[in-house]
Amino acid sequence: MQQLKLMRIELTRYSIIRSLMLSRWPQFILTSLALTGFLLAILTGWFGTPVGSRNFSIIFVWIAWWAILMLIAVPFFGRGWCSICPIPAPGEWLQRGALLQPNGKGGLSLGKRWPNKFRNIWLQNGAFLLVALFSIIVLTQPRFTAVVLTAFLSIAVATSLIFERRAFCRYLCPVGGFIGLYSQLAPIELRVKDAAICASHKTKDCYNGNLRGYGCPWQVFPGGLTKNTHCGLCMECLRTCTEDNILVQTRPFAQDLILPGGRRLDEAYKAFIMLGSALVYMSVLLGPWGSLKSAAYQIGSAPWFAYVAAFLVFVLAVVPGLFSVAVLIGRRLAGLRYNARRSVINFAYALIPLGLAAWIAFSLSFVFANLTYLAPALSDPFGWGWDLIGAAGVGWSPLFTETVPLMQIAILTIGLFGSISIVRRIAAEGVSKTAALYQSIPISLFCVGATILILTLLIA
Amino acid sequence: MYSTQIPVKIVRSWPWIAIIASILVIAFTPLPLKASQPVARTVRVEARSFEFSPSVIHVEQGQQVTIELIATDVVHGIYVDGYGHEIIANPGQTATLTFIADKSGSFRLRCSVTCGALHPFMIGKLNVGVNLLFYRAIGLSVLAGLAGFMLFRPRNEQ
Amino acid sequence: MGLILGLFATVVGARWLDRHKVIEIHARMPENGGWTPADLSVKVGQPLRLRLVSDDVTHGFAVGQTAWEALDLYPGKPVETTLIFDRPGKYVFYCTRWCGINHWRMRGVIEVYGDASTMQNSDTTTPESPLYRRLAIDLDAPHDAFVIPESQPIARKNIALNVRLPAKYLLRDYYLATAPSSAWQSLREEPSLASLSDQQIWHLVASLWRRQTSQNELKEGEKLYRTNCAACHGETGAGDGVMARWLAASAATEAPDAEHSQPSNQHTPGETVIIGHSTVVPTDFTNPHTMLGASPALLQGKIIRGGMGTGMPYWGPIFTEEQTWALVAYLWTFQFDYSQVETNE
Repeated sequence: MQQLKLMRIELTRYSIIRSLMLSRWPQFILTSLALTGFLLAILTGWFGTPVGSRNFSIIFVWIAWWAILMLIAVPFFGRGWCSICPIPAPGEWLQRGALLQPNGKGGLSLGKRWPNKFRNIWLQNGAFLLVALFSIIVLTQPRFTAVVLTAFLSIAVATSLIFERRAFCRYLCPVGGFIGLYSQLAPIELRVKDAAICASHKTKDCYNGNLRGYGCPWQVFPGGLTKNTHCGLCMECLRTCTEDNILVQTRPFAQDLILPGGRRLDEAYKAFIMLGSALVYMSVLLGPWGSLKSAAYQIGSAPWFAYVAAFLVFVLAVVPGLFSVAVLIGRRLAGLRYNARRSVINFAYALIPLGLAAWIAFSLSFVFANLTYLAPALSDPFGWGWDLIGAAGVGWSPLFTETVPLMQIAILTIGLFGSISIVRRIAAEGVSKTAALYQSIPISLFCVGATILILTLLIA
Repeated sequence: MYSTQIPVKIVRSWPWIAIIASILVIAFTPLPLKASQPVARTVRVEARSFEFSPSVIHVEQGQQVTIELIATDVVHGIYVDGYGHEIIANPGQTATLTFIADKSGSFRLRCSVTCGALHPFMIGKLNVGVNLLFYRAIGLSVLAGLAGFMLFRPRNEQ
Repeated sequence: MGLILGLFATVVGARWLDRHKVIEIHARMPENGGWTPADLSVKVGQPLRLRLVSDDVTHGFAVGQTAWEALDLYPGKPVETTLIFDRPGKYVFYCTRWCGINHWRMRGVIEVYGDASTMQNSDTTTPESPLYRRLAIDLDAPHDAFVIPESQPIARKNIALNVRLPAKYLLRDYYLATAPSSAWQSLREEPSLASLSDQQIWHLVASLWRRQTSQNELKEGEKLYRTNCAACHGETGAGDGVMARWLAASAATEAPDAEHSQPSNQHTPGETVIIGHSTVVPTDFTNPHTMLGASPALLQGKIIRGGMGTGMPYWGPIFTEEQTWALVAYLWTFQFDYSQVETNE
C-alpha cells in the first residue's frame, strides 16, 4: 500500500488552515448558526403547522441536515459535524463558563466522572434503536420532531452540568454513535506526530487543558489515538499541545478498519444495527407496502408492537446471526480454531463501508425526492402564511429521479468493494494465505447478498 | 522464471483487464429490445392513505399505458418518476393518465398531493419491461466485490 | 414627545388589533375535529376576515347558498378571504373537497346578525317550504315503479310535435310532481297516443323530461354530481362509489352474520369512525325500479333533507334551489338517453 501514502496531505502544515483550526471563531460561528436553526426548528416544531412538508422543523432536520450529514459530512469529514454540533453547545458553554477561550474560572458543572459501566456505546445503540422505533412518526410530524430535539437539547445540557466533558456526545447521543462508527472510513484524521513525545510529556495538557484550550472534551488522550471513532475533531488538543505534536491530515478511506487492535462488541453491534435498520427503513419508507407503513406509524397498536418485535429481532438477531454463520462457515472451511466470538467481532467491522453506502443510497432516495420542500419551508417556516424569501409558493417536484438510481448503484458498488477489501485484510491477520482465502469467501458472499438485497429494495 | 518477455506485472494484470472489460460490457452493452407492438393496457389504481393498490404495476416496454387513478378516501395524486407525468384524483372523480411506456426499468409512483403524515412515503412502482439497470447493477457490484477480493489478497512477502 | 409616542403606539396597536380581527380557521378531517372554530358570527355588511388553513389533507371552503367561489385549502398553506353578508341569517360553511367518509359532516355555521330594519326585510323574503312538503310527499315511503321500460328510453327533440299531446304534460308543475312511471301510465291511457308502442311511450316520457332541462342545467348538475355525489353514488350512478364500501360495511356490521368487515384495518387506532348507525348502501340511480317511481320533487326532497342516519347528507343549507333542480335533472340521465337531443338550444 505504499502508493496510497500519496493521499496523505498534512493540512496543519499550511498556515491558513492551521490558523483557521486554531481560531475559535469559525467553529463558534458555525455552531451558533446551527444552534439558531436548531432552536428555530424546535419553535416551528412546537408551534408551527402540523403539516410536516410545510414545517421548517421537518424539512430542516430530516431533509437539509440529514442530507448534509449523510452525503457530505460523515463520508468525507467523519466526526466533522460533531465539531460544530449545536446540541451539546449550550451545555458545554455552561460547563466551561465561557463561550470561547478558557477564562481560568470554573464553569457550572458538578464534573462527575462518567460511570465505568457505561463507558461503551451500548447506551448509544439503545438510544438509536429507541428513536428508530418511533422514527416514522418523528420523521413526518413536527410535534414529534420537536419532542425529540427538545429532549436531545435538555439531556445534553443536563449531562454537561452533571458529568465532566462531553459525556452526552461520547456515550448517549444516538447520532454520535453511528457518526463515530462511520468516521473510521473518513479520509481525514487527527493524530500525534510522534507518540514518544506524548508518552514522556509530564503535564499532558491535551487531556488536562491549559489557558489556550480545554482538555479533550471527548476523553481521548491524543497520544494513544489510533482511530477516528471517538475523536470529535474539536481541535482543542491542537490548541493545547505545548510540543506542536498534533497534526490533521488527509488519508485513504477506511484506514481505521484495518488496524487489528481495539475492536469491540458494542461497536460490532453498532455495525449490525446500522446495516439492519437501513434495510428496514428502505422496506418501510421506500417500499410499496402500505400495511408495513401503517404498522410502523400506528404507535401503541398491535401491528406496531409486531413491527417493533420484527425490527428488533431482525436488527439484533437475524443480521448478526446470519453474519456469524458466514464467519463460522469460513472458519470451518479454513480449519481455524481461534476464538469464534472474537472473529465475529473483527469481521463485523467489514460491514462498515457497505453500511454507510446503504445509508447514503437510502438518503439519496428521499432527500432528492423531497428537496423542493426546502424553499417554502425557508420562506414560511411555521406554515403561517409568511413569505420571507418569496418562495412560499414553490411546489413539490422530485429531483433527479433518473439519476438517483445511478448514484445509488455507484455508491453501493463502492461500498461492496470496500467491505470485501476489508474482509480480505481482516482475514489475513495472523493466518496463512489459504486459511485467509477460505475464511473470506462466505463473509464476502454475505456482503454480496446484502448488496443485492439493497439493490432490490431500491431500484428493482 | 518466465519464459516469455512479457513483464510480470502485465501477466498479473490479466484478471484485471478481464474485470474492467466485463464492467464496461455490463454497463454499456445495448441489449436488443423486443420490436413487437404490444396492445394498449389500462390499469385501475386505487389510492388510499398511504398506499396504492395494486402497489406494483407491470407493463411492456412501448405499450400504451392508461392509469385510472381512483382516490378512495382523500385527494391523492400520482407522480411517475423518470417520466415526470402527474395526475390528481378526488374521491368520486377518477383521473386518467395515458402515456407510452417507452423507457424500460422500474419507476417509483409517488403520491403528489399531501394526504396526511406518511404522504412522502406513499410509494408504488411501475415496472416497464425488463429492468436492465437492476441486472447491470448486480453485475457491477459483484465484479466490484471480486475486484476487492483480488486486490487485497494476502501477499506472500510476510 | 409623549404625544408622538402615544400616536405611534396607537397606530401600531390599531394595526395589531386589525390583524387580530382576522379569524384563523383550521381545517381537519372530521374524525380529527373538522373546522375549528366552527361557529362564527358577524353583522350584516361587516367584513368577516378569515384565514383558512388545512392541518392534514386537501380541503375546500365554501359558504352554502351563496355564489362565492370555493377556496381550495392545501395542507399548511394558509388562504385569506373576506366575506361580507348583505342579509342576516344562518349560513353554513362546508368542506368542498372529499376528505374521507365523514367529509360531509365538515360544516360550520356563520350567524349573520342584522339591525331591526334588515330583520324586518328578511322576514318578507323567507323562502317558501320545499316542494316535497307542499306536496306532502313521504320521503321515506317506498317508491317502486309499477312499470319499467324494456330498454333505455331515448329522448328526441321534436317528438312532442309529432303527436297530439295534451298541454298539461308539458307543464313544469306536472314534471316536478310526477314520477316517470306515473307519467307513462297517464300517457298510455291517452287515446291520442294509442298507436304508440309501450316503448315509444317511454321515449315520449324521456323526451318530456328532457324538455324540462337545458344543456347548461345538465352541465351544472353533472358538475355538482361529480364533486358531491359520485364518491358514494358512483361515477356511473350505480351506487358503487368509493365511499360506498364504508357504508355497506357499516351496514353489514349491524347484521348478526356480517361476513366482511373490511375497513377496520385501514383505520388508525384512536381515530373515531363516526359514520351513521344505520347506514345503507347508496341508492343506485341506474335502477329503473326505484328511479322511475320517484318524482323530481321527491328526489329534490331527499337531497334537501338527507337520509336521516342512512349516511345520505342533507344538502338543504348548501345547495340553492336552482342547484337542487339541476342535480335532479342530471340524475335522470342515468335512466334516459339524452344524447340524441341537439346540444345547442
